[in-house]
Amino acid sequence: MNGFTIATPAQVLAIDVRLPDLDYAAMAPMLVLFGAACLGVLVDAFAPRQSRHTIQFALSFIALTVALLAVIREARVGSRELTADVALAIDGPTLFLQGTLAVLGIVALLLVGERALEKGGPFVSQAAIPVGSEADRRQAREEGATEVFPLTLFALSGMMLFVAANDLLTMFVALEVFSLPLYLLCALARRRRLVSQEAALKYFLLGAFASAFFIFGMALLYGFAGTVSFGGIHDAALLATTSPLLLFTGLAMVAVGLLFKIAAVPFHVWTPDVYQGAPTSVTAFMAACTKVAAFGGLLRVLYVAFDRARWDIEPVIGTIAILTMLVGAILAVTQTDIKRLLAYSSIANAGYLLVGALAFSKEGLSSAMFYLAAYGFTVIAAFAVITLVRDDDGEATHLSRWAGLGREAPLVAGVFTFLMLAFAGIPLTSGFTSKFAVFGAALGVGEAWPVALVIVGVVTSMILAFPYLRVVVMMWLSEPAEQSPTVAIPGAFTSAALMVGVLATLLLGVFPSPVLDLADRAAEFIR
Amino acid sequence: MEPGYYVVLAAVLFTIGAVGVLIRRNAIVLFMCIELMLNAGNLALVTFSRINGTLDGQIMAFFVMVVAAAEVVIGLAIIMSIFRTRRSASVDDANLLKY
Amino acid sequence: MTTADVLMLALGAVAVGAAAAVVTTRQIVRAGLWLVVALGSLAGLYLVLSAELVAWVQVLIYVGAVVVLLLFAVMLTRAPIGVSEDLDRSRWPGLLIGGGAGLGLAALLIDAYQWSTVDLADGAGAEEVGAAIFRSWVLPFEVLSVLLLAALVGAIVISRPDVSARVGR
Repeated sequence: MNGFTIATPAQVLAIDVRLPDLDYAAMAPMLVLFGAACLGVLVDAFAPRQSRHTIQFALSFIALTVALLAVIREARVGSRELTADVALAIDGPTLFLQGTLAVLGIVALLLVGERALEKGGPFVSQAAIPVGSEADRRQAREEGATEVFPLTLFALSGMMLFVAANDLLTMFVALEVFSLPLYLLCALARRRRLVSQEAALKYFLLGAFASAFFIFGMALLYGFAGTVSFGGIHDAALLATTSPLLLFTGLAMVAVGLLFKIAAVPFHVWTPDVYQGAPTSVTAFMAACTKVAAFGGLLRVLYVAFDRARWDIEPVIGTIAILTMLVGAILAVTQTDIKRLLAYSSIANAGYLLVGALAFSKEGLSSAMFYLAAYGFTVIAAFAVITLVRDDDGEATHLSRWAGLGREAPLVAGVFTFLMLAFAGIPLTSGFTSKFAVFGAALGVGEAWPVALVIVGVVTSMILAFPYLRVVVMMWLSEPAEQSPTVAIPGAFTSAALMVGVLATLLLGVFPSPVLDLADRAAEFIR
Repeated sequence: MEPGYYVVLAAVLFTIGAVGVLIRRNAIVLFMCIELMLNAGNLALVTFSRINGTLDGQIMAFFVMVVAAAEVVIGLAIIMSIFRTRRSASVDDANLLKY
Repeated sequence: MTTADVLMLALGAVAVGAAAAVVTTRQIVRAGLWLVVALGSLAGLYLVLSAELVAWVQVLIYVGAVVVLLLFAVMLTRAPIGVSEDLDRSRWPGLLIGGGAGLGLAALLIDAYQWSTVDLADGAGAEEVGAAIFRSWVLPFEVLSVLLLAALVGAIVISRPDVSARVGR
């Protein structure tokens, strides 16, 4: 049969092309962000240079707010459905995570849009100019690129699609929609551009490598189930007419792609370099939002498509979780750069999240979602503080430079101390309640693997407290170095981001129950 | 048709690409190896599409191709910008395009 | 053995050989050219599988666009055209891990299919593929356009020339 005969109109009509039902209200958050990103591209093409930054920031801010309202509206309606021919699942976890993404996105956007700390903002407008050339010196005084806003919106819309995706193909496309803008954002740092570009290259190459695994896994699962929708894979696993080897190999390879994004050991090697090299506001965005999106996707894959195979995958992912917690915690102890330290802490936190995910229960799911929200606020605030501690070369991220910061700037050092204590899991912070929730959910299952994971989790939490406390001790008790960095006065945006982050960390620690209840009510996937 | 041949061929190509990513250092060559892996995935998708008798596999192969094209654009843009940034920069040139 | 099987084995051998050459050659340009051979023989395999549309799109996008872009990148970065040493990292660990995992994968697949044979339905043409895309895959399809736009914008942002200098002059 020749596929290239030109069809006559009559033949074209003969083929039945019916669009599937699309629930536009349910897709509104993503559509708003996609639309605003496209508008942002136009703004950059046509708006006058001076007003671009203001317009772009306002546009992105409004778009995210509207998206958040759309999510809330959808949650009020209480819709639980598959739409776009089962490509999207609009259910509790989707809405909870999309709402989290919108809120964290707004807070991260404040950091991305901050221009008070450095003339022209933390981004460079022409990344490809040779470093140190005449043109480069000229552009140091110029405005930074404003395309970062549409790129951020593209990334966020991809993330929202990712947590809603109900088949592997949609998930893959969404994965790329949020990854590609992130690779680019990493390369746009104004200061230390070479490091930033190398980080972008490394992130990109390893990310593409992981995507290739995802695709091959998708192909194997398609071979197994004849479909790539999660419900279809679930059903096929029940019937098991084909060899289950395909199922497990496929799952393993898809999991490689997802575990790479959440920075689980042994797929974590990019994390420290990228966290260090990327502009700090982008790092904050990645640390909070990418983690939410990637974990949302992983949870859906595990809970919806593979819950029948849970006994077989538990040892493998459990081992990965243990390794992730151990490697993250132990290597965090040895770090001398604050951004790398937070990178390893983020790896260890991925391990704690996996503990919650592996509970395979409603409590596990809701605690993991709560953890994602709580961790996101804290980590954005921590990176916001890092943007403030500066010297002539930009941010002073080496730990030794932070010595004696408590005397220089007691307020900022106090805030950072609070955030470090939250990371360490001290009571009355969100770090405590979220770890408590995750470990409690795992213990509630009462089986060998979750209990073992909790033991490792508690031990590594204690190890991990050491580097955090070392930073605190250094800030308050060490003598300042000779040329100590100055603490910049935060602009309105950074102050707002810091305030939201710190307040959320405190409130989720003292009164966690409203959000815990919300997560609990939302914690049910549909298939 | 014997599907075994095709899926094993796909697995072999995927392996060659993956080994290439692990042993080579030049960014562009790494990139070619990743393209090989994506193509191996496509071959598997099309084969399974024929085995299962549904079109979905072939359609997914199209999607993968388009995404690969977008990835190439981004990847080469990053590589080019690194190259241009470093051209007259007094940095360790020996490290150029290695990761 | 049918004609299709013979063709498949021949094209498969070419693909594997060319892929191995991509990975092992010490000249970047040759790696790109071997990639053309590998991707081209895959297009042939798609034809054998009677997935014609995929085959031609493979030729258009991969051989026509992706490889050309890669070769452009090789030239623009003035990568050494001749033999370049120092392209490799220590190869044995990667070879062992990757090769071992790959052989395991192949063994699994052989085990899964046990050299069974499958009767194929008729291949589908462009019309059926197009209809299926707009029937059940319309959402990811539309998102692809967003992806392409994002990639386009991003690539321009990161590599655009020094516009302001020219405007300022």
